[in-house]
Amino acid sequence: MNYTVQVMGESVGKDGRKIIKVTKENFLDLMKDLRNHGFDHLSLVTGVDRKDFMEVVYHLHSMNTNEYVVVKVETRDYKIPSVTGIWKSADWDEREQYDMLGIIFEGHPNLKRLFLPESWVGHPLRKNYDMKKTQYINMDEEGNDYATFDERGGW
Amino acid sequence: MSSSEWVELNFGPQHPSMHGVLRLKAKLDGEIVKEIEPVIGYLHRNAEKICEMTYFNDNLIYFDRMDYVGAMNMEVGYLEAAEKLLDISISERVKWIRVIMAELSRIAAHLVWAGAYGLDLGMLTPFFHCFIEREKLLTIFTEVSGSRQEVNYMCVGGVYQDITEKAISEIEDFVREFPKRLKDIFNMFMKNDIFLSRTKGIGILDKETAISYGVTGPMLRASGVEYDVRKAEPYLVYNQVNFDIPVSYKGDNLARVLVRFEEMRQSLKIVEQAVKKIPEGPYFNPKAKKSLMIRMRGEGDVYARTESSKGEFGVYIVGDGGVKPYRVRVRSPTLKNLSVLPELAKDVMIADMIAISGTLDLVFGEIDR
Amino acid sequence: MNILLRLQELFSPLGHLVSYILAYIFESLFLVIFVTISLIVMIYVFRKYMARVQQRIGPNRVGKFGLLQLIADALKLVGKENILPRNRDDLPYKLAPAMVFVSLVLAFTILPYGDFFYLGSFTVTHSEVTIILLFGIIAIMPIGEVLAGISSANKYALLGALRAVAKDVSFEIPMMLSVLAIVMMASARTPSSLSLESILSSEFLPYGILEPIGLFVFFISMVARASYTPFDLGESDSELVSGHSTEYSGMRFGMFYMGMFGSIFLGSLIVSILYLGGPSGPLESSLGFIWLIIKAAILVLISFTVWLSMPRIRIDKFINFGWKYLIPIAMINLILAGIITLGWGL
Repeated sequence: MNYTVQVMGESVGKDGRKIIKVTKENFLDLMKDLRNHGFDHLSLVTGVDRKDFMEVVYHLHSMNTNEYVVVKVETRDYKIPSVTGIWKSADWDEREQYDMLGIIFEGHPNLKRLFLPESWVGHPLRKNYDMKKTQYINMDEEGNDYATFDERGGW
Repeated sequence: MSSSEWVELNFGPQHPSMHGVLRLKAKLDGEIVKEIEPVIGYLHRNAEKICEMTYFNDNLIYFDRMDYVGAMNMEVGYLEAAEKLLDISISERVKWIRVIMAELSRIAAHLVWAGAYGLDLGMLTPFFHCFIEREKLLTIFTEVSGSRQEVNYMCVGGVYQDITEKAISEIEDFVREFPKRLKDIFNMFMKNDIFLSRTKGIGILDKETAISYGVTGPMLRASGVEYDVRKAEPYLVYNQVNFDIPVSYKGDNLARVLVRFEEMRQSLKIVEQAVKKIPEGPYFNPKAKKSLMIRMRGEGDVYARTESSKGEFGVYIVGDGGVKPYRVRVRSPTLKNLSVLPELAKDVMIADMIAISGTLDLVFGEIDR
Repeated sequence: MNILLRLQELFSPLGHLVSYILAYIFESLFLVIFVTISLIVMIYVFRKYMARVQQRIGPNRVGKFGLLQLIADALKLVGKENILPRNRDDLPYKLAPAMVFVSLVLAFTILPYGDFFYLGSFTVTHSEVTIILLFGIIAIMPIGEVLAGISSANKYALLGALRAVAKDVSFEIPMMLSVLAIVMMASARTPSSLSLESILSSEFLPYGILEPIGLFVFFISMVARASYTPFDLGESDSELVSGHSTEYSGMRFGMFYMGMFGSIFLGSLIVSILYLGGPSGPLESSLGFIWLIIKAAILVLISFTVWLSMPRIRIDKFINFGWKYLIPIAMINLILAGIITLGWGL
C-alpha cells in the first residue's frame, strides 16, 4: 500500500498485525490517508507511558476487507492532534486517555474528564502518580461530584 | 419553546431501572427530550492500574468483574492476549471447554438483558421466567467451577479443574429443554401489540453512524453490517462448528431485540455440537504449571479481540520482560455503544428514550471498569 | 328491609333523631370495615396470583399460607418515619392522600348492594340521583393525585401529575357517554332513571347484553382511571420513579396504594351493577350480595391478568386512542341505545 506521507517504519507485531510508526508531524495526514483507503472503524486508542515519552497507539480496522493495521506515534510534550473529525469513536476514547494519562488532544471538541470528577488532581495511570495521597469524593448541591484531599470531606 | 426554557431533568444514578449507575442529564421541552449528556464513572475501579501491579495469572479475577453477567467471555478475551504474549499453548480439550463456557455465558447475559428490558417497558412477568432459566445455567457453573457468577474458572494455560460427567449431563439436559422455554419467552414479547408499537420504527441507527462511532456486536448487526469476530478472525475452535450470524437491515429497536433472541438460539446450536465433540486430553499445560512458581515473563505487545455478548471485546497488553504487565488496555464494547445514545435520542419522547437505552444492553462493570 | 332500618329499630327506645344518627354511624362503620377487609383480601389474592403467574410462591411465612402478610405490611407502613421534603406546599401535600382515600370510601356507601340473607342490604345512603352523586364523588380522586404531584417539590412528581391530568380528562368523556346510554334506556321503564336502585329493579335483561359496546368502553375507561399497566403513565415505574406519589412515605404512601386497588374494586363493582345485572341471579332475595361479589371478583381477576401481561403504552398514543377512537365508539353506542329504546317501544 502506498502512503502519501513518509512513515518511519513498518514491522509485524507479536500478534501478527502490521505496525506503522510515524512522526507527530505526519500523523494527521497519514490518518486521513488510511481513512480514504477504507479503514472506517477505529477500534481503540491507547496511551502508554514510557517514562521519557508518551506513546499513543491506534488500532484501525476495515469492515469490508477485514484488514487490520496498528499506528504508533510518540510525543514528548503530552500533546497530539485529535482524530475526532475523522472517526467519531475517538471522542470518548481520547477523553478517557486524557483522564487517565494526561495526554492533551488538540482539536477535541469537549476534552473533559470522563470517569473521575473534574477537580481530581493528577492522572492515575502515569508511572509517577503518587498513590499514597488519597483523595475523597463528595457531592455538591447541584449533584456534581468533586474531589478533595480533606479526610473528612467525603468517601 | 426556545432553548432557554428547556427544563433540565436529571435521570440520576439511582433509579429503578436495571441498567446500573448511569446518570443522564436531559434537557426536556415538555415531554420531548432535546439534549442528553451521559455522565459515567460511578463504578470506576481503575482495573487497568491494578493489573499493572499484579502477576499475569492473578489478573484474571479483575476481568470477571467487568461484565459480571456473562463473566466467562471476559476471561476468554484476556487469556487470548495473555497466552499469546507469554507463548503458552493450550490443548484441544481446553479449547472446546472454553467455547462451551463462553457460549453458555452469552446465553446468560442475553437472558438478563431480556428480563430487564421487559421490566423497563412495564412488563413484570418475563423477568421472572428469564431468571428461572438463568438459574439453571448458574447451577451448571457451580457444578463446573464452584461459584455462580464470578467464576474464575480459567487460568493461563488451561482451566483450574476438569469438567466432570455430571456437568456434561447437566449441560445436555439444558440443551434439550431450553428451546421450548425460549420460544415461550419470545412469544411473551412478540405477540404483544403494545410491545411491538413501542419498538417498531423507534431509534433507527443507520450504518455509517454506527461504524463511525465504533459500535459493534448485536447493535451493529441490527443495522446491516455482517461483522462478527468469531467469523472474521476465528479464535479457539470456532472454525470447526457450524453456526450463522443473524443480521437485520432495519436498525430500529425491534431489529436489535430480534437479533439478540436469534443469537441465543445460535449459541445453543454451538453448545449442542461442542458437547458431542470434546476430545480427551490434559486440562492444563504442564509448562505453565511449573512456571506458576517461577512466574511467567513476556515481552512485546499483543492485541487480541474476541466476541463477547455486547460486541468486540479486545485486550491490549504491553509487556516489558517482567513478571507483571507494563500496560493493560481493555476495549470495552459497551462504552462505544453508550456513546451513540446522544445521537439516537434526539427529539424523542421520554418513554422512547427509556426504550432505546434498554436495547443498548448496558452493564456498568464493563463501561467504567 | 335493609340494615339501616333494622338498626334504627334497635335503637328506637332512645328517641327518633338519636336512633337515626346512631344507626347511620354504625352502618358507616360496618361499611368501612367491609371496604378495608375487601381491600386486604384483594391485595393478598393479587400477590398470590402474581406469584403463580411468575412461577414462584408468594407470601407464605407470616401466618398459615401467608394470610397475615398484609396486616404485617400495614403495621410496618404505620411505623415508618414520615419524610417531608423541605420545599413542599404544606396543606395540599398533607390533604392529597386523605382526599383520595376518603372519596374512595365515600363512593362505596351509595352503591346498591343486594340483600344478604335476612339482614338486608348494606347501602347507607338512598337517593334519587345516585348516578350523578357516584360519578361526582369518583371525580375527586384524580384531583387528589394532581395535588400530590404539584405540591411535592419534585420534577418527577410534576411530570407524573401532568400525565395523570391528561389521562383523566380524556377518559372521563367516554365513561359519561356510556353511562348516558344506560340512563336513556332505563328512562323508558322507570321515572327515576338516575337512581341505580331503580335501574336495577326495572331491567329485564342485563344491559351488558343489550349494549356490549358500552360495556367495552366503560371497562376500558375504568382501567384507565385506576391507573395500572397498560395505562399507568402517571406512575410509570422505570421512567418517573413513582409519578405523583414519589415524595410520600409511610402510611401516606399506603393510602395511595390502597386507593389504586380500591379503584380497581370499585370499578369492577360499578361495571357489574350497571352492565351485568348486579345482584340478580337465582335466590336473589337472600343471596343477592354474594352474586354481586362473585361478578365483581371475576372482573377483578380479569383486570389482574391484564395488569401482569401488558407493557406500558406511550402517552401520546394513549391520548390519541382516547380522543380519536373511544369517543366516536361511545357516541355510536349512544345512538344505538336510542334506537333500541324508541324502536322497541320499551
